[in-house]
Amino acid sequence: MGEILLHILVPIVIFGFIALFTLFAVYAERKVAGFVQDRLGPMETGKFGLLQTFADILKLLQKELINPAAADKILFAIAPVIIFVAVFIGYSVVPWAPDFLPADTHTGLFFIMAVVSIDALGILMAGWGSNNKYSLLGSIRAIAQMVSYEIPVGLSLIAAVMITQTLNLNEIAINQGVLSTESIHFLGFWDVSEIGGVFAWNIFQAPHLIVVYVIFFVATLAECNRAPFDIPEAESELIGGFHTEYGGIRFAFVFLAEYAMMFLVAMLGVVIFLGGWNTPFPNIGPVQLADWTTGLVWGIFWTLSKTLLIVGVQMWIRWTLPRFRADQLMNLCWKVMIPIAFACMAISGLWRILVMN
Amino acid sequence: MNLEVFLFYAFAVLAIGSALLVVSLKNTARALFLFFITLFSMAGLFLFALADFVAITQIMVYVGGVLILMIFAFMLSNKELLADLQNISGSFISLPNWQSLLLALGFFAVILLGLKEWNNDMPDWMLSNIKSGDIISPNDNNIHQLGIKFMTQYVLPFEVISIFLLMALIGAAHLSRKEDTQ
Repeated sequence: MGEILLHILVPIVIFGFIALFTLFAVYAERKVAGFVQDRLGPMETGKFGLLQTFADILKLLQKELINPAAADKILFAIAPVIIFVAVFIGYSVVPWAPDFLPADTHTGLFFIMAVVSIDALGILMAGWGSNNKYSLLGSIRAIAQMVSYEIPVGLSLIAAVMITQTLNLNEIAINQGVLSTESIHFLGFWDVSEIGGVFAWNIFQAPHLIVVYVIFFVATLAECNRAPFDIPEAESELIGGFHTEYGGIRFAFVFLAEYAMMFLVAMLGVVIFLGGWNTPFPNIGPVQLADWTTGLVWGIFWTLSKTLLIVGVQMWIRWTLPRFRADQLMNLCWKVMIPIAFACMAISGLWRILVMN
Repeated sequence: MNLEVFLFYAFAVLAIGSALLVVSLKNTARALFLFFITLFSMAGLFLFALADFVAITQIMVYVGGVLILMIFAFMLSNKELLADLQNISGSFISLPNWQSLLLALGFFAVILLGLKEWNNDMPDWMLSNIKSGDIISPNDNNIHQLGIKFMTQYVLPFEVISIFLLMALIGAAHLSRKEDTQ
């Protein structure tokens, strides 16, 4: 019985975290936008506008649920739930600290890739169910983009997995620090298994993995449908894209899914490339900085701070770069990122056989 | 009833129920979206066979790829074609009713016969494997074994499949090419 309670409690805690994260991320997003555009952002509600997002969510919760007359009622109502749940399931396998993760499976990485692809189905459902030209166009654009950009994401993950030799996210994280069971080589020549810290992170295991991380980061930005890849919801041409008809709590769910996806892909990048819960400080002789800053609480702290840093970069990019045109978007994916990702995958294979043995 | 048994039957009921609805619904769009539930609960059933890799591949390939393609094909096809499809939905793949009924009954009889022949005992090879400890447990890492098998015992089918996929890819790229304007 206790085990079942734990299985129920963990998702509730994660959901609470996502909701809290979304509240603060929306506030941060507005403040970042304000900073980039040389204005103040929300200032009226609470001190420095801190209560702005709470006021927003209260407003959304009170709103009436409006069903468009021509919409497919069932598909229209289920779609936001599917969009959110697809992202939410992804959280079940990501580690937060040493051996501290909801589910320790051998197929963790593959599992995330699979469940996140369900997101596309939810978006298509929303676009079709709304029975609205703009929604349908937005969702078709979203699918074309998500299906295309899944390939560079997958290829960059394969390039990294060829180096780590496991799909288990917990093991991937362990093998990037002082707790590692295998020997780690910084750029292939310097054994850092005892030193740990920033040198042991996967991104520095081989020189081409830096390129792979950049591809992963850009492609996941497109997977989240965030600017500069936000043509599915381009306000100037498509009103709101696939969520044009949504209001109230249903819109809140679509919004929650977008921010949950941002955090999930940032966290996935951190776990696979940037050391996961491992500390950035190395052991220097008698000063065992890496050993002192590894543990449950430290693990959660490092995961959170690294992930939030990446989310911050995502926001910075959103408010700095202009939107891509649809054909430029596809050109970037198929003619630039996929060939580079393929080359990196081949280099990973050679690296594993020639350098790491 | 423990949780595993409950989940197994829940997935089984979902798979069969949604599959029945998929073939009986008049609304093609809803039927396609319902197909997702069938595929998803099939993936759940694969998990009970300790085939977690197959389960995830099922979601990845069918839900992320094939189903999206089917919905796209549905959205891009014209209304007259869809109306035709809905007119023939009274018969089973354009067979008359009595023939399809005969087929269904025959198939059901085969299943019943199989159930009758099965006497609740495991086959001998299964018993001998259990005795010698040559089994996989839920916590085993199957992926290493899968990879080794793919690259040794099943390397020819594996390579044939990859050539086949490459052919499909080249074909798709060729079909979607711009025609030469003369």
